[in-house]
Amino acid sequence: MLNLNKDEHKELVFFNEPDLSLHITQQEGSSLRIVVVDCSVAAADEPRSAAHTLEIHHAGTNCRTEIYVLAYLKRKDCVRTYTRMHHDIGGGVSKQVIKYVLADEAQGEFMGELKIMPNAQQVSAEQTNRNLLLSEHATMRTRPQLEIYADDVKAGHGATTGQLDESALFYMQQRGIDPTMARQMLVQAFMQDIMDAISDDTLRDAYCKRLTE
Amino acid sequence: MSELLVIKNLHASIQDKEILRGVNLTIRAGEVHAIMGPNGAGKSTLSAVLTGNPQYEVTEGEVWLKGKNLLQMPPEQRAREGVFLSFQYPVEIPGVSMVNFMRTAVNEKRKYEGKEPLSATDFLRLMREKKKLLEMADKLNNRSVNEGFSGGEKKKNEIFQMAMLEPCLSILDETDSGLDIDALRIVADGVNRLKTPDNSSIVITHYQRLLDYIVPDFVHVLANGQIVKTGGKELALELEEKGYAEFE
Repeated sequence: MLNLNKDEHKELVFFNEPDLSLHITQQEGSSLRIVVVDCSVAAADEPRSAAHTLEIHHAGTNCRTEIYVLAYLKRKDCVRTYTRMHHDIGGGVSKQVIKYVLADEAQGEFMGELKIMPNAQQVSAEQTNRNLLLSEHATMRTRPQLEIYADDVKAGHGATTGQLDESALFYMQQRGIDPTMARQMLVQAFMQDIMDAISDDTLRDAYCKRLTE
Repeated sequence: MSELLVIKNLHASIQDKEILRGVNLTIRAGEVHAIMGPNGAGKSTLSAVLTGNPQYEVTEGEVWLKGKNLLQMPPEQRAREGVFLSFQYPVEIPGVSMVNFMRTAVNEKRKYEGKEPLSATDFLRLMREKKKLLEMADKLNNRSVNEGFSGGEKKKNEIFQMAMLEPCLSILDETDSGLDIDALRIVADGVNRLKTPDNSSIVITHYQRLLDYIVPDFVHVLANGQIVKTGGKELALELEEKGYAEFE
């Protein structure tokens, strides 16, 4: 249990956490940013398996929450992400961007619960889940779940799962770029906005490096 | 003049449908060849096959670039050998910046030629210099490749990339489509200024308009997957007047 005081700002960054279980309550005017990044480790013997649960409550008005999740998984690794974003009081803003890149036989799961309670008017909530499958043996399960009980709110969600853009690959090859490098560049481009959410430059650079190892 | 590109009896199909049915064409260094023809004649197929687009299958024939067997090379090697395609529909690549994209492309080519990669300063200077040629904005560098570009900006960006990569054979596939007259003039000016006695161009177009600006040495009519007529630049005017009816 973590409590964010009135007008407090917090940024939490997690990289390859085994299992994450966060339960955070935000008070009036507080803002929270959570960045969770997972990637397969080259030297690992055992398949990596992790489940992350992020539960956030807006207990005061005018809170802001941003949740960024990225999993770049290979082999038989599996990472599950569960978010529960609860707007208990109005005037809040929440933004969730969840991205998975799955290669080999990797598995991913995302369940996103977004709840806007009856007296939580004038809330703006957004949930985006985008998944990139690099192999036909990789699987992604995604289940957005919106429960909206207030009427004066803006709530949006979208989930897409697809493959690398073949026409972009050919375009890059036509400019002399090796296809392996072109794929890497496209995957990196896909992940970039999540990494950019880490405001500490040193930390971001270090994690970006580990992602592409 | 030496032969730069030799196409012999080229047949190609897409999804078992034969589009090219025996194309023969020889291009010498320094020449500009226009390929005109009705829709569906195989103009874009020819550019796709020359650049190694995996959607098309070559079923017969040969293509030689400076004496090397082009059809045996993967697309990226053809590019590094100097084959450049200005795409009819340039692809948007969100998240890949122009500067990153171009630096990778330029340095891959240099590596292939056994040269050292360009330093960051030299590379940026080169970008600046070539952007001027196409009257392009400075903010281009950090924009994603073609993302949110207007039709005209996309076509200028193709010719900008051509200027950066200095190909020996550039194929301009319907570069005039979607361009207003000012953009057309800038693009054509760029192409003309990049012309040297050693490089050649294939200009694919449906209309004669572009050829007022990029003057061809030869005009070929491609119809039903074959080159059915070849002439000088006056042939383009004749086609503009009479249309393609006699070839269909």
